Amino acid sequence: MTPELREQARIAAFAAPATIFMLAMFAVPLFAVFWQSITTNSGDEFSLAAYAKILSTPIFAKVAYTTFEISIGATIFAFVLAYPIAYFLAKQPSRRRAFFMILILVPFWTSSLVKSFAFTIILGHAGVINDILGMFGLGPVKMLYNRFGVMVGMSHFLVPFMVFPIMANLIGQPPELAKAAAIMGANKLNVFLRVTFPLSLPGVVAGALLVFILCLGFYLVPALLGSRHDMMMSNLVDFYAREVLDWSMASAIAVFLTVAAIIAASLISMVKGGGSILSEEAR
Amino acid sequence: MEEHASPWRIAVNTTAVAILIFLVLPSLIVVPISFGDSNEIVFPPKGFSLILFERFFSEPGWVDTAWVSFRVAVWTTMIAVCLGVPAAYALARGRFPGKRFLGIFLLSPIMIPHVVIALSLFVYYVQINLNHGELRLVCAHVVATLPFIIVTSHAGMKNIDPALEQAATIMGAGKMTVLFRVTIPLLIPSIISGALFAFLISFDEVIISWFVSKAESTTLPVKMYSSIQWETSPVLASISTMLTGLSVLIALVVAMIQKKSK
Repeated sequence: MTPELREQARIAAFAAPATIFMLAMFAVPLFAVFWQSITTNSGDEFSLAAYAKILSTPIFAKVAYTTFEISIGATIFAFVLAYPIAYFLAKQPSRRRAFFMILILVPFWTSSLVKSFAFTIILGHAGVINDILGMFGLGPVKMLYNRFGVMVGMSHFLVPFMVFPIMANLIGQPPELAKAAAIMGANKLNVFLRVTFPLSLPGVVAGALLVFILCLGFYLVPALLGSRHDMMMSNLVDFYAREVLDWSMASAIAVFLTVAAIIAASLISMVKGGGSILSEEAR
Repeated sequence: MEEHASPWRIAVNTTAVAILIFLVLPSLIVVPISFGDSNEIVFPPKGFSLILFERFFSEPGWVDTAWVSFRVAVWTTMIAVCLGVPAAYALARGRFPGKRFLGIFLLSPIMIPHVVIALSLFVYYVQINLNHGELRLVCAHVVATLPFIIVTSHAGMKNIDPALEQAATIMGAGKMTVLFRVTIPLLIPSIISGALFAFLISFDEVIISWFVSKAESTTLPVKMYSSIQWETSPVLASISTMLTGLSVLIALVVAMIQKKSK
């Protein structure tokens, strides 16, 4: 062994406890789920029945479609809400930006249960918004336990994840570009539409992919703010595992969900600037 | 910056402030409700009292489950720090083959939906016959929080000037001395922020706990989850206020630590 190799082995050994733990408590259990999905519920017989059932049960196709539809919708809403904030924050002097960041970090770190509970108060039948509408002789409007409630809850949760990459991109843009466009006679709207926004697209794409991955795994918001028709993949896993007690079916859906998440995650690492969180040296 | 009142600027600022209000509203609306004088959830609240906080401490189940959550979060944080900080050191300082793959593997729980981790441990614990309620929760929460410890300590390590470690080596310090007297002390702010966030993630975790906890070791979020689903007890308002207070406190402490270490 060369000294360099011995030195590297010594450094690598520091990762051994974490690696052993993650093999035992993450990798092997994931494999157990995969194994469960290709065996029968009772014995250890090989069977692809769960996958056959997935393809033939209408509920899976319906939930997969709902998940996709809600994920796309929530990603778009999150983008629409996040961009103005990111743009606004990027234009602030750094001291004031730090203050406004608190307004994003507070909801970011608030428990998602608390947020969902708060939305049942805000959107409910006798909730805050319906009270206000009532003063004008309007409503009540049904905003809870339907698609609207899920969309509001999910976009609210996702906005911070979208703000960070877009803001980082906007702050990184050289101010000379916008200034040059302004000198050439472009008004503010044109500078934004023709210079600032196109340049910020990599940040938007990185944020949108991250948000989309998070959408795939949503569980609490559809369970608490949606109806039976807004069931998403995670809720379906829960339904099969905890109510029907069909572990093979639950596992097959979980495998499907994992594959979808891995595909989306590899797309992220392909987008410039959205790569691995640890890959500073790769830049 | 010269034209302060341009229509463009006014439009941007108004939109952004309106969205920021939408963002903070749910975290804040629970606070006045929790000090309300009635036993139902109403906004705006009637009167002022601490009755909902009293009910949290007197009704059976709430304080017990909060203690379970607290113990699990403390153990989770300690184990995740002990495993994650050395792993981050290896990933930041090593150039060994397979390092990239190791990094992806150790961070992958961030990208895997929590319900998958929940189901996998739910199935696995039966197979290995792990029945200790809080141990089931701690192992599961370490899987979910370890990546965050690794990311924060890795970032902290990349910020340490390698010249400081080199200087210590030139002055005759051994490798272990450099690690314990130079690297780790410089890393303390990153470790503390990572640990506080790991604590918060574990304390607030719902889905994984919902799958792996046993009846006698239910956590506070799991009890809240079933309460919101079935009866929506007004006590939830007082718990929400306390949880939001905890999140704000932790976020502020982390912000202060990061400001100081700059």
